[in-house]
Amino acid sequence: MRRALLAITGLAAGTTALVVLKGSPGATPVAAGELPAGPAAVPGQSAPATPGATRPPSARPTGTPTPKPSASRTPRPKPSASSGSKAATSAPRRTTAAPRTTTAAPPATNRKVTGPVVANEFGNVQVQITLSGTKIVNCLALELPSGGQSGQRSDRVDAAYSGTSGQVVQRQSASLDTVSGATYTSRSYQQSLQAAIDQAR
Amino acid sequence: MTAATRPGLRRVEQVMGTAISLDLADDLPAALLRELADEVFGWLREVDARFSTYRADSEVCRFDRGELSFAETSTDLRTVLERCAELWGATDGFFDAYATGRLDPSGYVKGWSAQVASDRLRAAGAANHCLNAGGDVRVRGHSVTGRPWRIGVRHPWEATATCLVLTGTDLAVATSGVYERGPHVLDPRRGAPARGLRSVTVVGADLGLADAYATAAVAMGPSGVGWLDRLPGHLHAVVTDDARQLHSTALPLAD
Repeated sequence: MRRALLAITGLAAGTTALVVLKGSPGATPVAAGELPAGPAAVPGQSAPATPGATRPPSARPTGTPTPKPSASRTPRPKPSASSGSKAATSAPRRTTAAPRTTTAAPPATNRKVTGPVVANEFGNVQVQITLSGTKIVNCLALELPSGGQSGQRSDRVDAAYSGTSGQVVQRQSASLDTVSGATYTSRSYQQSLQAAIDQAR
Repeated sequence: MTAATRPGLRRVEQVMGTAISLDLADDLPAALLRELADEVFGWLREVDARFSTYRADSEVCRFDRGELSFAETSTDLRTVLERCAELWGATDGFFDAYATGRLDPSGYVKGWSAQVASDRLRAAGAANHCLNAGGDVRVRGHSVTGRPWRIGVRHPWEATATCLVLTGTDLAVATSGVYERGPHVLDPRRGAPARGLRSVTVVGADLGLADAYATAAVAMGPSGVGWLDRLPGHLHAVVTDDARQLHSTALPLAD
């Protein structure tokens, strides 16, 4: 699953780069300054207004997890749940073809750009981004690998369950002191079993 | 049993946008029980004022806007931020206090603050109590009937039914699901609502962790079942979107 995340990140970064490049003829120097250093310039594209501009620190590839609290900047161990998985060395290629669909400057309205289907050893990855102008406002994975290690349950795990596919959920009645459930809003609490228990007292 | 003969105290208050039900079962003087309950709800209201993302003057919002440096934050906020960071790692990113694009530790704060309240009650001599913070439950000791506490798990399709009944004398029980507020739990990998698990209940010793783990498992979808089973020190029950129920065989089910 970590690889899938890397794949999304890579794709989002590559797609961002190309989209920004595509928009550059009519783009402001600010937009040109946000050019990621990664993919080579598209042939035929006019040079960015600031060719030597370095990527500002704020130009983070979208699609990556949002920043953590500053206390957490140190690397964290990954979950023990995935112990035994190999190190994530197979970062996806970032320079695979991204969609080259538009030649005009991007309109201000929202539009969606769908990336190519990229296959890796775990399955296919495809990402769709939504842009408002040159800003990515949403990123959606249309396809991600399923199955694989993270989707598998070992015999030991299955043995620890009430059944491999479980029982059909039943209603159970018994005397109760309290009820655990997904967070009530104050309004939904009024209709909840917990409210009935509280009132019965 | 009438209120006059029943020992203990029960109180419900609306805090943090939800209902908090407190059941103190110790046979203590009424004035002391009231004082203990006042402290519990006072603490929870204080947490709401400091940690709410709906209050622009809360410590969380001021920190998020950069008006407070990390060094200027309270010990409580630092604790919460550190736990959220640890949970982000422990859940492989599926518990994300920044999932909305800004700091929102609510997914941990409610369980954590109720756990702190329960710890304080025990330290103050109220060893038998049940605190239900909007569906997240911490029980200790026995109810006034002398039995271990009995905790129903809400049926994910029927608000007034339960699908499991747990019992115990020292349990944190947290349930996350998509039934209460619609498919609001986002799978941060896809950026789309999580699918596959309608309800996840996690049973452990710490309510903040149990709540965060349950939320993370809902976001994971079906692979969350295997992930939950590898969580040390926690038991769980899961209801899938197709109405199948699975649970740890060691889950403390009531007879």
